[in-house]
Amino acid sequence: MSDRLGTSFFSPRRAGIIALSTVTQLVRMKVFYFLAPIALLFVGLQFFDVFWYEGPEASQPQQELMMHKNLCLGTMMLFSSLFAIVSTALLIPGDIEDRTLYTILCKPVPRLDYLVGKLLGVISVIFVAMLVMDILMVVTLHYRTQAVSAELGEYLGAIGWGEEEVRQGQAEVASHGPSLILQYGVWAHFFKASIIAAVALLISTFSTSTLFTIASSVMIWIIGAIQSLAREGLFTKGEYGVEPGMVDRILGTIISLLFPDFQLFESVSDGAARAMEIGMFDMLHLGGLTFFYIAIYTVLSWFVFSDKEF
Amino acid sequence: MKRFLKSRNILVIAAGLAISGAIRMPVEQKLTEDYRERRIAAPKVSVETWNQMGQTGLAGTFGGLRSVMASILSLEAQDHFSNQEWYELKQDYDVITSLDPYNLFYWSHGGWHLAYNAASWARNRHDLKPIQRDTMEREYLEAGDTFYREGLRRIPDAYHLWGELGSLWSNRFKRPDYERALEAYKMAASFGKSRIYERRYVYLLAQIPGREIEGYFEARKLLEQDPSHLRLPSFRAILYALWTNPSLPLSEDRPEILEIFRSEEEAYRNLYNYRLRTEEEGYFRGSIDDTLRILANKLDVPPDWIPFLVNSRYRIPKDFRSKRNVLPHPRSGNPYFQGEE
Repeated sequence: MSDRLGTSFFSPRRAGIIALSTVTQLVRMKVFYFLAPIALLFVGLQFFDVFWYEGPEASQPQQELMMHKNLCLGTMMLFSSLFAIVSTALLIPGDIEDRTLYTILCKPVPRLDYLVGKLLGVISVIFVAMLVMDILMVVTLHYRTQAVSAELGEYLGAIGWGEEEVRQGQAEVASHGPSLILQYGVWAHFFKASIIAAVALLISTFSTSTLFTIASSVMIWIIGAIQSLAREGLFTKGEYGVEPGMVDRILGTIISLLFPDFQLFESVSDGAARAMEIGMFDMLHLGGLTFFYIAIYTVLSWFVFSDKEF
Repeated sequence: MKRFLKSRNILVIAAGLAISGAIRMPVEQKLTEDYRERRIAAPKVSVETWNQMGQTGLAGTFGGLRSVMASILSLEAQDHFSNQEWYELKQDYDVITSLDPYNLFYWSHGGWHLAYNAASWARNRHDLKPIQRDTMEREYLEAGDTFYREGLRRIPDAYHLWGELGSLWSNRFKRPDYERALEAYKMAASFGKSRIYERRYVYLLAQIPGREIEGYFEARKLLEQDPSHLRLPSFRAILYALWTNPSLPLSEDRPEILEIFRSEEEAYRNLYNYRLRTEEEGYFRGSIDDTLRILANKLDVPPDWIPFLVNSRYRIPKDFRSKRNVLPHPRSGNPYFQGEE
C-alpha cells in the first residue's frame, strides 16, 4: 500500500519525527519529575551505611562503595524497567484516545514508521533519564571513594604499613570508584529497559486495555529474570546429575523460546558493581543481543499492527 | 474474519518468538557459561537454597537487586546474631551468599559468625553437659570452616579466606589445630599477595613445639626475599629467638643483635615484649633470657622493666627508663599497649 502511494517502506526521518513527538509527549507527562526523588535518594545514600562495612578497619572498606553502587544501579534498573513498561503501554491507547493516531495514519505514514518512532521516543527518554541518574551516581560515588580512600590511607599509615602497601590498598579502593566498567553496568540496564519497552510495544499492539499491557509486561519482566533457569535445565544436567523429566523439558523449552533472558544483562550489571573484568566485547555481545530482541519484537508488533482496525 | 485475524496473529507471534528463540538460545547459553566462568554471572542456585529464599528470592532474582537483597538480609542476620539464633543465621548466610556469591565479605562474615560467635556461645552453655557443650562447639567450628571453604570454592583467589582459616585454627582461645592452620596460612601465602600470611606461617611455626628449626629456615627465607620484614618488631623478635635455638645446625652462626635490631634499646624492648608472648601464646623462647640479662645490665634498665625481677603483664613502653606510660589506659582501663604488630 505504501508503495502505491509512493512512500518508502521505512523512512528513518519519519520515524525520527514521530520519536521526537513521542519524547515531547512523554516530557509533557512530567516523567522527569521522578528524577528529583531519585536524586535525593542517591545523595542520601552518601550518608547511609551498615556499620560493619564502615571504616577502614573493616575487612573490606570497598564494601561500602559496592553497596552504594548496588543501590544506585538497582534504583536505575527499577526506574528504567518500570518506566519502559508504563510509558510504552500508555502510548498507543493515548494516541487513540486523543485521536492523534488517526491524524498520523491517515497520512502516508507506514505503520512500521509509527511503531519504530514510538519505540525510539521511549528509548530516548529512558536514555536521558539514565544519563542524569548515571551522572548523579558517578558524582556521589566519586566523593565517597575519595573519603574512603583517605580514611584508609590514614589508618594504614597509623598502623605502620609501608607507603607501597598503603598505595596498593588505596588502588584497590579506587577500583571500586567510578570507572568505565561501572558504565557498562549502566548500559546493561539501559539495554534491558529497551527490550522491555519493545516487549510492551508488542503487547500493546494486540491488547485492548492498558492494564493488561502493563500486567503482562511486568510478568514477562519477572519471567525474563528467571528464564535462564529453564534454559539451563535443557543444556545442563540437574542437581545430583538427575536429568529433567519430559514435562520439565517441554515447559523449559517453551519458556526458553518465548521469553527473553534478562539474567545476562543483570549479570553484567552485577559484575560491573563488583568491578569485575568486563570488556568492550561483552558489551558488543549484549548490544547485538539487544538489537536482535528489539528487531524481532518490532517486526512482530508491525505484523499485528499492520492490519489492525481502529 | 476478526477471529481469524486474531488467531493468525497469535500463531505468527508464537512462531516468530519460537524461531528467534531457537536462534538466540544457544548464544545465550554460551554467554551465560562464559560469564559464569569469568565469575560475572552467579553460579546456579541449589533447589534447597531456592526453598530457603522464599519471597526474598523472588525479589532477589531482579538482577540488580540481588546484591541489595543480600545487604538487607545481612541486617536480618545481624538480628539473629544478637538473639543468638544460630540456625537461622546460618540459613540467612546461605541465602546471602547465593544472592551475592562473589562477595568475599559475606563468606568472611558468615564464617566468623559460625566459627567464633556460635562456637563461643556453645562453649558457654553451662546448662549443658560438658560433652554436649564440647560437641556443639566443635560442630560450629567445623561449620565455620566449611563455610570459609565453600567461599574459597566460589572465589578461589580469595586468599583472605585462607588467612581467616589459619587464624581460626591457630587461635589459642578456640581449639587449635596447627596442621590445618599451617596449611591455610601456606595457601594464603602462596598467592604472593600478602606478606602478612607469609609471616604468620613463620610465627605459627615458632609456636609449635618441635617445628622451631623449620620456622627458622622459613624466616630466613622470607628475610632473603624481602629484608623489609625486619621493620616489624614481632618478626625481629621471633627471628632472633629462632636463631638462638641451640638445636640449629652448627653452620648457622649466632646472630649479632645489631644484625636484626636497629639499636640495643629496640632489641631490649622487642625481646621484652616477645617474652610476654612466649608466656601467653607459647612462642619459642630460645635463649632470649640471656640476651635480655646482658642488655639489661648494659642499658642500665630500671628493675621495673627487668622480667626476672618483676612479673609484669604490661608491654614495655618506648621510654622504658621512665614509668610514665605504665599506667592502665584512662578510658578502657586496659594496660598500655605498645605493640606495632
